[in-house]
Amino acid sequence: MDRSPLLQSRRTFLRSSVASSLLMPGLVHQLMAADQAADPLAPRASHFPVKAKAVIFLFMSGGVSHVDTFDPKPKLTTDHGKKVTFDHPETRNRPGYESIYLKKPDWQFQPRGASGIEVSSLFPEVGGCVDDLCVIRSLHTSHSNHYNATLGMHTGSFAFTRPSIGSWVSYGLGTENQNLPSFVAIAPQMPYAGTQVWGSDFLPGAHQGTRVVPGPEPILDLAQRLPTNQQARELAALRALNATHQADRPGDPQLAARIRSFETAFGMQFEMPDALNLDQEPDETLGLYGLKRGQTDGFGWQCLAARRLVERGVRFVELIHSGSSGNWDSHGDMADHGRLAPQVDKPIAGLLQDLKRRGLMDEVLVVWTTEFGRTPFNNTADNKGREHHNWAFTSWLAGAGVRPGMVHGATDEHGIRAVEKPVHVHDFHATILHLMGLDHTKLTYRHAGRDYRLTDVHGVVTHDVLA
Amino acid sequence: MVSNSKWGGWLVARLALVLAGIWPAVPTTVAAATADDGDSFFESRVRPVLIKHCLKCHGAEKQEGDLRLDTRAGWQRGGSQGPALVAGKPQESLLIKAISHDDSDLKMPPDRPLSPADRATLTEWVNRGAPDPRTEGPVRLGGMTLDAARAWWSFQPIQPPKTPALPAFSAIDAFLLAKMAERNLAPAPAADRRTLIRRVTYDLTGLPPTAEEVEAFAQNESPLAYRRLVDRLLASPAYGERWGRHWLDLVRYADTAGENSDHPVPQAWRYRNWVINAFNADQPYDAFIRDQVAGDLRAARSEAGDPEAVVATGFLAIARRFGHDIDKDMHLTREDVVDTLGKSVLGLSLGCARCHAHKFDPISFEDYYALDGIFSSTKFAFPGCEPKQAQRDLVPAYTDAQWKQFESGPRQPLNALDAERKQRQETLNSLLGPLQETTAANTRTLSEGAIDDGKSAAFTVSEPVQVEPGQALVLAIGPRGNHGADTTRITWRIEAEDGSKHWDSSEDLIRNFNAGNPHADAQGNARVWWLLDYRAGFRPLDEPLRDHNGQPGLNVWRNGDTPSAVVNATDQEIAVWTKLPPQSLFVHPAPDGPVALAWVSPVSARVRIQATVADGHPGGSDGVSWQLNHLTTNLQAPLAAVADQAEWLTANAQERAALEAALPKRDLLYGVTEGTPADAPVLLRGDPEKPGPITPRRWLEVLGGTPLKDSAGSGRQELADWLTSPANPLTPRVLVNRLWQHHLGAGIVRTPNDFGSRGQAPSHPELLDWLATELFRANWQLKPLHRAILFSNAYQQSSLVDPTVDPENLWLARFSRRRLSIEELRDSLLQVSGTLERSQGGPHPFPAESSWGFSQHGPFAASYPTNRRSLYIMLKRNRRDPLFALFDGADPNSTTPERSLTTVPTQALFFLNDPFFHEEAAKLVDQVLARHSDEQARLEDLFQRTLQRPPQAADLAWTRPFLASYRTPENQDDTVRRGWQALARVLLGSNEFLYLD
Repeated sequence: MDRSPLLQSRRTFLRSSVASSLLMPGLVHQLMAADQAADPLAPRASHFPVKAKAVIFLFMSGGVSHVDTFDPKPKLTTDHGKKVTFDHPETRNRPGYESIYLKKPDWQFQPRGASGIEVSSLFPEVGGCVDDLCVIRSLHTSHSNHYNATLGMHTGSFAFTRPSIGSWVSYGLGTENQNLPSFVAIAPQMPYAGTQVWGSDFLPGAHQGTRVVPGPEPILDLAQRLPTNQQARELAALRALNATHQADRPGDPQLAARIRSFETAFGMQFEMPDALNLDQEPDETLGLYGLKRGQTDGFGWQCLAARRLVERGVRFVELIHSGSSGNWDSHGDMADHGRLAPQVDKPIAGLLQDLKRRGLMDEVLVVWTTEFGRTPFNNTADNKGREHHNWAFTSWLAGAGVRPGMVHGATDEHGIRAVEKPVHVHDFHATILHLMGLDHTKLTYRHAGRDYRLTDVHGVVTHDVLA
Repeated sequence: MVSNSKWGGWLVARLALVLAGIWPAVPTTVAAATADDGDSFFESRVRPVLIKHCLKCHGAEKQEGDLRLDTRAGWQRGGSQGPALVAGKPQESLLIKAISHDDSDLKMPPDRPLSPADRATLTEWVNRGAPDPRTEGPVRLGGMTLDAARAWWSFQPIQPPKTPALPAFSAIDAFLLAKMAERNLAPAPAADRRTLIRRVTYDLTGLPPTAEEVEAFAQNESPLAYRRLVDRLLASPAYGERWGRHWLDLVRYADTAGENSDHPVPQAWRYRNWVINAFNADQPYDAFIRDQVAGDLRAARSEAGDPEAVVATGFLAIARRFGHDIDKDMHLTREDVVDTLGKSVLGLSLGCARCHAHKFDPISFEDYYALDGIFSSTKFAFPGCEPKQAQRDLVPAYTDAQWKQFESGPRQPLNALDAERKQRQETLNSLLGPLQETTAANTRTLSEGAIDDGKSAAFTVSEPVQVEPGQALVLAIGPRGNHGADTTRITWRIEAEDGSKHWDSSEDLIRNFNAGNPHADAQGNARVWWLLDYRAGFRPLDEPLRDHNGQPGLNVWRNGDTPSAVVNATDQEIAVWTKLPPQSLFVHPAPDGPVALAWVSPVSARVRIQATVADGHPGGSDGVSWQLNHLTTNLQAPLAAVADQAEWLTANAQERAALEAALPKRDLLYGVTEGTPADAPVLLRGDPEKPGPITPRRWLEVLGGTPLKDSAGSGRQELADWLTSPANPLTPRVLVNRLWQHHLGAGIVRTPNDFGSRGQAPSHPELLDWLATELFRANWQLKPLHRAILFSNAYQQSSLVDPTVDPENLWLARFSRRRLSIEELRDSLLQVSGTLERSQGGPHPFPAESSWGFSQHGPFAASYPTNRRSLYIMLKRNRRDPLFALFDGADPNSTTPERSLTTVPTQALFFLNDPFFHEEAAKLVDQVLARHSDEQARLEDLFQRTLQRPPQAADLAWTRPFLASYRTPENQDDTVRRGWQALARVLLGSNEFLYLD
């Protein structure tokens, strides 16, 4: 295929700018200088200086059990079968749940790394990276329903449609590569609450997550329908026509922005597939993520694609593991966790190691989370599954600005309630924004007469987890 | 409660003054007279305690729980939990309860309890009647002081303003020129005619003008041409589609409910079309609002009914649903209703006050619950949700009485037929009595018996029986004693002794069971076999059913459910309620009497009789009895009379069914109706598990606070009246601002959903009121206002003016260029390619309700492609159409007062690569190439269709070489077409196409 001069020069330019530093940064200053007013995605300074530049948000859909993964509860094993009484939202007035009994975890915990933080045998590889993690064992959330809790974890609202956390970060910081969207959600399946998970709601549409579905056309209309030379010929004609039009209408930033958008879209056709094309990755790197050469799906693919996207300046990458079905929602049998964990364990560990050896851990914040935990009890002690549990669950942070190798907060002896230093989802959001250099009380948007924010009127930054 | 009535009295007293148009400078309180010693007790003992321990959080700076203790009115009014104290009654006072630290939900001060001495002081103060000399401090209503609310511009009555005395084209222009003059601005020159027709056609219809329309208008210099153009566009059905969509944006229209599984709402489209039709009919805006709030009540009052008025309440019914079991989160749905109503009609954000008094606007916590009570007294159609899949509480299109009247005409032919059927039935019945007497007197029982459940009996009548023509053999199967009755298989063979003839029930009946009853025998003798409801003697089973229960070959005769006779005419077993073997005949008696199979002899012969009777549905304790009788008299004549009537009734039943199917249906609509009327409690912090004091239903205090006249209804009727009362200045101001916004690009108030203190003040307040006054003069009709605005110079001026002078174009010294909306973009592409289907959209092809099983794991997620205009596309709430999301379409989850306009590269990808875009461009080219063979003519046609103008010299300079560059000698046709397609894409992707000057 012959390439147009326009394309060649653009690619050369991009390559050279990528080469000049770790995360895209030659472009940044140029773009910051370019007419910011008309460009909602122009890079913006954070509220206070931080090294963090990008977020990789790993979302495990369905509710991961904390007591089987990152929150060891020996007392739960010794008290297995003991009857307990709570007014729990998932068991209240539920037929067959008149009595509930403690239920021991199905996996063994071991101290890992120099920090000795205990991780279960479900996550042997992530356990190996535990010295890089800040494990928060005292998260809790406001709803025990998938849809509402998923919405809450993404938007801070448990009922209403609101901008998602990725949109807020994009709105707060803009993005560093105009050839790519600022917020990318790699979601092979649709999650609970659907597109609201990456929607921008009242924030300008430029901040909505662009959904990437692994496959031949990962973004809507990304695949070229014409040979590049023909496309370039049409774009040249379009540029000429638009220039004539613009000549009579000088000073209109919207017209100029749209003319520019075609140039960047043209580039995106190559930049995005290039970012998502793992062919140039060495075998050793593929192996790190548990990928076979040529593989174009699976969580390992999502993780490596995420690294390549943040390297190219994408501000926020969300990776959704599974979707609204076939997920971590192990009511029937916790063995589902045993089936799902290996799908993500090695890829996540690979991502952490890869970021680290590339010197990106300072610039990328990695968040691992889920919508809620699972009950440390059930209606019989030998019930194989666990129910939804919003009183306590575990998530972890790693990378930019996070204190590594520590545990924050604790649940009670059975993992039922977050009792020490509880962290609500709003606090979690406040902390993530803080790590990105954003004050959650100042990141506001005026809509319908009110200044809205991700944390609504709540949220306290968990300072203990900051490095 | 004493304190409530005290507060209520204060409120009523003040409202009386408000209504009289005189606001009190200070609240007229009815507090007990305070003696001097009371005052000094307060000053020396109470005030220090309040200052030290309470006012930091409940004073001028902060009002935690909406409570202020720094004024007398503050504690009288109380906070979100009601009045802070009841004078003279410490044990009933929240304040005293709070300082006692006994109630875990209410402990004040929260960190450390007061000293016993301070507690005693406050208790004594309340005991003494709470003397409080403090009268200073402004009285607050929500987030404003009363004085500020009184002075706020948008609550002022509409004053017909004086048009500035300036030489201007129109009153509108005079108002604008006055403001421009203050800033040394002058209006832009008029736009050229091509620009103007493109502008106004998109503005009023959302579609481009045709090339012919553009040329006709461009050539017509008559000053009346523009007026005629506007009139034509306003009369076009596309006007309602364009302007109805503006309203649908505001009311967050969607075709799904939005709860966790996003159930489809198959009836929602009727509300959508009602909105479109209301705009086209220019329904007065006050009536438009009243119908949407209380159309069901107007419909119920009318004699003939008015289904469309019920459909209008879809405005309320399409409110978003929340959660897993939506019945549990209806308080959130009501917030959506109150908030959407407030923003769309009044320009006020009322939803904030669900949890606390509005922080900025004069909307109190009680205001919210006064309206919440109206909607909690209203029954909303229920769309289904994960644990309750079926719809319920849909609203019948007519009341019972209306329906009876409405249906009476169409029902006439059916009634006439039924009269004839009744007569035939009576004739038939009159034949049966005498027939039964005759047969009873001439019956000879040949055999009888009973079988237990699961058993069978085979019998042969030992002696041959002599039968004569018209005599009958009857095999009757009845319930066995008190044991009920069951499906019973029978076989029956009658054979002439000489072997010359035989009759077999299976051979004669099964193959062609539904052919008739009575049924012919295999030799062609008519009316030989009779299937009888034997409770009444010789009454034929009259209802035939073929392929019963959807089972091919399962054929039935019956009267009601039973008695019945059933055959399996197939060669396979059919398993229904029981297993029916291939080629079998069954009967089922009625619980109270027998079913029978009769054979009426066509010959004179001596016959042998063999039969079996077998339980066809083993299980339980039932069984059947049977009897075989010989009727020894000639029944030919009376049976013929019976058969004549029975056969007519059966044949006519089909005609009757067709007439019945053609009757109008009493539709069930997705609207609202009256529920159980009751005032609602305030919900403390918005939490339904924390109900507080009951709030009487009433109108917003800042707009008069009118109480319900009649608390027997929900209050929606009054609400509809309050919203559209001439005394409410918000409704007309908000509406005319929207008209201005959509015509001129931005409202006179640039926050069209917020006329409160957080919104922007009007740039031209007098013009806003002039428009509102014009609205009243036009009896709330919109089209006269459209004309007034469209006929102004301001609307007709050019946009080709330096935008840096007034970048926001606040003073309208030029026309604001705008991008096409996603609907306009898609509709235009379909229009220019000739594929736009212009008929009005109807229902969507949703799956049948009986098949629903949506869940949060597997929500409703279908899409239904259409070539109709974009507003007819099915809209989901939880899975937004990616194209609509990409191009800033309206959010179907919350009111959208104006489309945001973002320009991002992923939009440009649509113009580069979207298959739809490429296809429409190709179809456009097919038409252009088919119509013209000459390149110049083709170019003119293509430019006219896409950009509504002929190509200029500058265009020709590049388009010709561009086309030429595609031509190759080998494959002329194909390459020529490819070049034109490329050119079409360039034009359709251009800024000139996407932006309106």
